[in-house]
Amino acid sequence: MLKKTTFTFVMLASALGVVAAEAAWKPERPIEFVVTSGAGGGTDNIARTIQAAIQKNKLTDANIIVTNKGGGSGAEGFVYSAMAKGDPYKFTFGTNNEYLLPYVAKLGFKSTDLVPVAAMALDEFLIWVHKDSPYKDAKSFIEAAKANPESIKFGGSQSKDTDQTLVSIISEATGAKFTYIPFKSGGEAAVQLAGAHIDANVNNPNENIGQFKAGMVRPLCVFSPKRMAKGPKVSGDMAWSDIPTCKEAGIPVETYQMPRTQWLPAGVPEDAVKWYIDLLAKVRQTEEWKQYIERTSQTEVFMSPSELAKFAKDEEAKTVAVFKREGWLAQ
Amino acid sequence: MPRSAGLTRFAMELVVAGATGLIGAVVVAGAREFGTGWGVAGPEPGYFPFYIGILIVIGSLGTIVATLVRRQREQRIFLDAEQARRVAIFCGPMLAFVIVASTLGLYVATALYLFGVMRWQGGYKTGFATVVAVGTAVGFYFIFDVWFQVPLLKGPILNWLGIY
Amino acid sequence: MGNFGNLMDGFVIALSGYHVALMVAGVLMGILVGVLPGLGAPNGVSLLLPLTFTMDPVSAIILLTSMYWGALFGGSTTSILFNIPGEPSSVATTFDGYPMAKKGEAGRALTLAFLSAATGALFGVVVITALSGWVAEFALKFSSPEYFAVYFLTFASFIGMGSASPFKTLVSMMLGFAFATVGMDTVSGSLRLTFGFTDLIKGISFLVAVIGLFGIGELIVTMEEGLRFEGIRAKVTPRDVLHTIARMPRHWVTLLRSCIVGSWMGITPGGPTAASFMSYGLAKRFSRRKEGFGSGEPAGVVAPEAADHSAGTCAILPMMALGVPGSATAAVMMGGLMIWGLNPGPMLFIERPDFVWGLIASMYLGNVVAVVLVLSTVPLFAAILRIPLAIIGPVIVIVCFIGAYTVASSTTDLWFVLAFGVAGYAFKKLDYPIAPLVLAMVLGDKAEGAFQQSMIMSKGGLGIFFSNGLVSTIMALALLLLFWPLAGMLVSRLRRHGM
Repeated sequence: MLKKTTFTFVMLASALGVVAAEAAWKPERPIEFVVTSGAGGGTDNIARTIQAAIQKNKLTDANIIVTNKGGGSGAEGFVYSAMAKGDPYKFTFGTNNEYLLPYVAKLGFKSTDLVPVAAMALDEFLIWVHKDSPYKDAKSFIEAAKANPESIKFGGSQSKDTDQTLVSIISEATGAKFTYIPFKSGGEAAVQLAGAHIDANVNNPNENIGQFKAGMVRPLCVFSPKRMAKGPKVSGDMAWSDIPTCKEAGIPVETYQMPRTQWLPAGVPEDAVKWYIDLLAKVRQTEEWKQYIERTSQTEVFMSPSELAKFAKDEEAKTVAVFKREGWLAQ
Repeated sequence: MPRSAGLTRFAMELVVAGATGLIGAVVVAGAREFGTGWGVAGPEPGYFPFYIGILIVIGSLGTIVATLVRRQREQRIFLDAEQARRVAIFCGPMLAFVIVASTLGLYVATALYLFGVMRWQGGYKTGFATVVAVGTAVGFYFIFDVWFQVPLLKGPILNWLGIY
Repeated sequence: MGNFGNLMDGFVIALSGYHVALMVAGVLMGILVGVLPGLGAPNGVSLLLPLTFTMDPVSAIILLTSMYWGALFGGSTTSILFNIPGEPSSVATTFDGYPMAKKGEAGRALTLAFLSAATGALFGVVVITALSGWVAEFALKFSSPEYFAVYFLTFASFIGMGSASPFKTLVSMMLGFAFATVGMDTVSGSLRLTFGFTDLIKGISFLVAVIGLFGIGELIVTMEEGLRFEGIRAKVTPRDVLHTIARMPRHWVTLLRSCIVGSWMGITPGGPTAASFMSYGLAKRFSRRKEGFGSGEPAGVVAPEAADHSAGTCAILPMMALGVPGSATAAVMMGGLMIWGLNPGPMLFIERPDFVWGLIASMYLGNVVAVVLVLSTVPLFAAILRIPLAIIGPVIVIVCFIGAYTVASSTTDLWFVLAFGVAGYAFKKLDYPIAPLVLAMVLGDKAEGAFQQSMIMSKGGLGIFFSNGLVSTIMALALLLLFWPLAGMLVSRLRRHGM
């Protein structure tokens, strides 16, 4: 395959007599978007939005296929890409699970098996409670948990994953003890909260927006250094920007955000990474992307590979400490 | 009663029950890696697999005992020579198909397998078998890879031909 | 009355020429993906998704749901003709559908299946129409203990009266549970029974097991007997189809019971798979011809099909109202909803009534379109079986393996199919029941997850399964069904003594 590509390329270059720098790598076969979550999950949504943006605006001639490989909290997809070493057609979508998963279980891939391409958004985390909950703010919520340890049931998506890590960080920072109940997805945790079967969850805005709009759940605070972007009223007279940050509200946890990341198998040509970055830069200008960011209330970013690598490293250091404390590290 | 050639049901019962018992033992061993008790917050991760494995072993032992008790009635033939031949004729090419599919890709395997069965087991003429076999493989390529965009394993031969 | 008026508005939206054309196109494509075991409704829907980005949401959802109906009907076809269920929910259809086809009644089995399915679906839509305001609220009452109770009820209604050796039934069911636990455990986050094999992280797919056990296993048995699908090669004429339609009302009791079970399971939301198994189990239990089940009893086709489709239809409502997809297909559709700029959730009904009611109206029409199309093509499908065995045999084998490969693009799964095929063959010849294995594999991890969540909620107390009226009722019903055969035996024995 490589031989043929090179061969065609040499032919083309000699025929034209020039080698344009930006045309150094170009897809010649369908690109596979490897999604490390099941259909309908957050990672699936961003991948399909980007697919739609590319196809509708014809940003590349290459065909794009989306494949869902969400088994083992996404490990299935990462292993799949890691095994396709040097294959620039396996464009892989994940979150922070790419570099955190290998710590909690022996999964058959290392975080270095993939190289970072970009992170395009940061998803926020909020503390949500039921509409009839007695806790009006984060402070009284934490006080109640302290007064009655393990009486508050915190729901979340999966086990030893972002949600449970955040709950553990809250416990550590405040000294309050909670009971964590893992569900299959954030969507399930949202419905369980709306039905008042659990007391709180730490869902992303997008996972709870339906219930929030209907006034069935109430946000207490957001784990972000500053309040969320201003916008129209979402629920009653409340807009996203009316939600206090958790630090303001008295929980000493400044930031907890989840990056929506993109990766390629290790060993791909430098130019291929560049081609994808250019493609994503074009995606950011599309109407579809802007609507996606607005609809899901995420914070838009555009990390370069080195920025993402640094972000990952910082987060790894912080999170591994939590894993160690909870005894989740895989031997 | 003279025993005709072949595998008896008695032997087969024991083999299958032995195999399921073995799986049960493996499950028990796998479950022991985790806690198998009933913790503060309900069952530990190994709790269910552990007892499931034990129940498989018990069920398998039960079948073995029942088979031994009814030994006389279990002397019927499970598989005679003719049947074994038929099964082998069917399963042999299927095994070859799986080996070829995992090395040379599903499309190549499809064409080869269909051609082989039609030509040597169905007795079709070489030309007709080739047309049907290659036609089916190409048809599958269009249905799966082109129309429904479900990529199947292509393998080195198709890659060499420029089909990814 | 409000609902009725809304529905009429919905019909006005759905009945445009463009939308009817979309329904026909969707159903036809759905039948195609349903009939090919490698593809299923989720593939079809995700393929069409990019096409819908430029459409208006109502048209888009009509296209996707029509494809879904088509795929469900197509899936029943392969279950009956080849013993290869395309979706978990059509497994129960193979139990009697395939034996019927083998006896030369393929056309009758297909017609029965399609008619029951359509009846179930229409029943489901009527339920949705009538209860739309209330369903979401009811579904909210369900938490982990209630889910566990529903799964337990499914097991209880299905087992307990097989004729097979109890040891073999036990082994079969427990093997199913064991296979279901392979891979990542949601509740503890630990990798179980993978023994260090990377390929096992994703677990053993239910579809791979079923394709091997049913599809390949059955083929080996057929080949060993030296048969050539003789029975199945019988011709199907439009007259057979009409004849079966005329005799359909005979099954009204089974139909009604299955529709109720299905709708209830769709709303609660236990899901179509649980519904079809439960309905099959109940049909057998209440039938006067119990022995006939498993060897081509028509009621054994009617029951799972009607329940499957009424559950599938009813499940759309909680999906839209709560934003929790009940199946892979529903999950893809929900992704679509978000891309079209809609938020599934309670507000959808208030913000976009045109969308919700247009969809509901299209469900009435789409199912009618689907059943007409599918019935008129029954003879065509049955004709597949007239292709000589030396060609169709290997093609079925290939389709089985391709189908298994597409589940996770993994060649390891090809070996699993082979292993499950041999196991299926041995099990069948030694009278191991396979249905309990499949049921345990499908519902095993869900039941375990719900159980563990309940235990965390109650801090280890089993009392949580009787903690409120809803869960107690379901549990009591399950226990009643579980011990029904025992009670029956006791009663008949007492009677004999009294005589």
